[in-house]
Amino acid sequence: MSSKNPRERQMLESIYSMIAVVFILVTCVDLCDAATVVDVYRLIQYDISGVPFGSRFATLNHHAGSLHFAPGVDLSRTVLVIPVRELNITFVKEYISQRKPLGGLLFLLPQMFNFGNREAATEGKYQIREKELMKTVLAELERLLIHANIPYPVYFAFEDDDIDAVLADVKRSDVSGQPATATTGGYKLVVSAPEPKKIASPSITNIQGWLPGLKADGDPNQLPTIAIVASYDTFGTAPALSVGSDSNGSGVVALLELARLFSLLYSNPKTRGRYNLLFGLTSGGPYNYNGTHKWLRSFDQRQRESIDYAICLNSIGSWDNELWIHVSKPPENAFIKQIFEGFSTVAEELGFKVGLKHKKINISNPRVAWEHEQFSKLRVTAATLSELSAAPELLENTGGLSDSRHFINETAIVRSIKLVAESIARHVYGRQGKNIQIFADNTSLAVNAPYIRSWLDLLSKTPRVAPFLSKNDPFVTALKKELEDHTREVNAHHEVLDEMFTLYDSTKAKLNIYQVASVTFDLLLLLVLGSYLIILFTFLVITTRGLDDLISLFRRPPSRKVKTA
Amino acid sequence: MTLFHFFNCAILTFGPHAVYYSATPLSEYDTLGTSIKAALVYLGTALVKLVCLATFLKVSENDSFDPYQELLKALIGFIDVAGLYFALTQLTHRNISQNHKYQAVGLGWAFADSVLHRLAPLWVGARGLEFTWDFILQGLEANANLVLSISLAALGSLMWLRKNKPKTLIPIIYACAGIVATMPSITRSAAHLLFLAYGSKDHLCFYLRKGLGWHFPKVVGFELFTSLVMAFISWQLFSACQRPSS
Repeated sequence: MSSKNPRERQMLESIYSMIAVVFILVTCVDLCDAATVVDVYRLIQYDISGVPFGSRFATLNHHAGSLHFAPGVDLSRTVLVIPVRELNITFVKEYISQRKPLGGLLFLLPQMFNFGNREAATEGKYQIREKELMKTVLAELERLLIHANIPYPVYFAFEDDDIDAVLADVKRSDVSGQPATATTGGYKLVVSAPEPKKIASPSITNIQGWLPGLKADGDPNQLPTIAIVASYDTFGTAPALSVGSDSNGSGVVALLELARLFSLLYSNPKTRGRYNLLFGLTSGGPYNYNGTHKWLRSFDQRQRESIDYAICLNSIGSWDNELWIHVSKPPENAFIKQIFEGFSTVAEELGFKVGLKHKKINISNPRVAWEHEQFSKLRVTAATLSELSAAPELLENTGGLSDSRHFINETAIVRSIKLVAESIARHVYGRQGKNIQIFADNTSLAVNAPYIRSWLDLLSKTPRVAPFLSKNDPFVTALKKELEDHTREVNAHHEVLDEMFTLYDSTKAKLNIYQVASVTFDLLLLLVLGSYLIILFTFLVITTRGLDDLISLFRRPPSRKVKTA
Repeated sequence: MTLFHFFNCAILTFGPHAVYYSATPLSEYDTLGTSIKAALVYLGTALVKLVCLATFLKVSENDSFDPYQELLKALIGFIDVAGLYFALTQLTHRNISQNHKYQAVGLGWAFADSVLHRLAPLWVGARGLEFTWDFILQGLEANANLVLSISLAALGSLMWLRKNKPKTLIPIIYACAGIVATMPSITRSAAHLLFLAYGSKDHLCFYLRKGLGWHFPKVVGFELFTSLVMAFISWQLFSACQRPSS
């Protein structure tokens, strides 16, 4: 019996080894296909009221070229591979604005911006100055690409060893004066993506949560409400890479932390304030705060009138010494004065400045630059707290490529949260102007930095362009669950984005890089092989049948012709 | 374009067999049936070899050169010889001269070998956009294999079909037959020694895709050279044995 088992084991082992060999062979055959396969992300394609913007094509099948091409060369069948580090923005601007024909563009981003690759993203390889330079270059490139209508595919990829080697090869051949075309070999870039389609009825989801205040017995009046709002979606050059850590990841994180802090206070009836607190995570921010508009319309008149004021959070993650409160009602207004004084007192205690900026709203202009303007249009007092001192243009500061986790200052977010929390708490508990600290450090109500960091990390890894977030998107569900943890009566309202904005799909693809031989090479090879076979044939005929047979092979057909004629 | 490359490599791999058949008197005597039978015998031999390899060979974790494994592979190579013996002696051939019999058997043998080992990689790999030299080298290897097969068949026919051989030449014949039969093992060992000579860092290239990495051209060159040498030797032996009887 024991002698049988080793033999059985040996048989099994040999069978496994056979299967292993077969698998190895199969994978070897599989690997024959492409030299390199890289993940690429497409430039956004959208229409505003029918006017097209962005890159209008997705399929790519052209030769690779670099910036060292000879002047005057026809590039309509070449894809220019440009690392962002060596970017010459004037060159790109010229090409795009003059609508010169080009096969495609491939931008290579440094690994620093790759949120998917944890080791690369946290590498401290770059100095602060280099990072800042990269940020400004990227921001300029984004501005250029978003507002242009580009009739060829534009893709973004992250630098890695394979693609760097390919680019070095391409540069070498370009410099030596032989551009890659069909007859001289080189590299071919192929992206087989489906035709981009419009996203029909893109859904935007607004999530709200209430913290009900303490109603005195026998008081028939409704309690006043204070609203804290932040928009959580982004818009950027590459929708699959738009994580928007600062715009508006910082706002979302602050809102969640505020919800947590106030839920601690409100959980005990003794410390529950006489105000309702409403927390709103809105979507559709880059599209003139369309989501906020629809969310507010869902409230009835009474609820809206009971809102004392609303604070909107927008980009509070990378400031040093000064924050701004933007309002649309004139600063002389009593409510605005009260709110601003409350905030500036707290800010002084915390050691920084808060400034007030007034921007009148123009009801006929559809452009809504700040979220509070949507509130003001419905006669609700509101203000936006932001590090930006001027109102951003349409689709600017909406969380693009340059808005990455590296440029965020966590202490800035912590200070902003302290500011908002203290100011609101003092207003709720009637302690304005009094020198107390409700959310002091090292207490149970201290601002929780690890909580902020973990949510910020999650937000910096999740692209959140609203039309690409479905109704049941896991991230939206996660936000809803988090609010449910801290607040009550959490509702998610699904709306459809305004028809003015249309986005197209096909945001991610795989790029295959093939090293191809030229046509002349194939023809040459055919010639060589043909002559080899002919020589082999004559050699064999001569050695086995004799020279006469060879000559007779050529003499027979003419004699036959003579016979039939 | 890439189908073009596939066509090129196909004519390099399978062309010489067709040319050999049509150029030599084999086509005149219509020995196609013999070749087909030899091809079928090769198929059977290959299956037997596969089973033996699977049963007796250990797949080593680290890619080191194990002389005992190579010895085992060489011994299994002798199954090839057994298969050729079966094809030459046991099968019924039409009344064709010995000269043509071994040529037809060798041709069928080499053609089956090429089809079995080289057609599938060619079909899957050469049609892609990506260009590699591998398939051209594979075709050259097929050519070397054709020469080797024919010389092995010649030696085999000398050993088993020819009754009166000069006594002095018999051991040489058997020695040459042994060398030709174990040629794949010899090639692998020579390639390994080549890498040892070039330094140990090239070891890693050894076990790449085709098992031979960027030294593949050198190996193919070695194969071509040895096949021509062995063909010349067996031709000499054959003509030496032919003299007494004629």
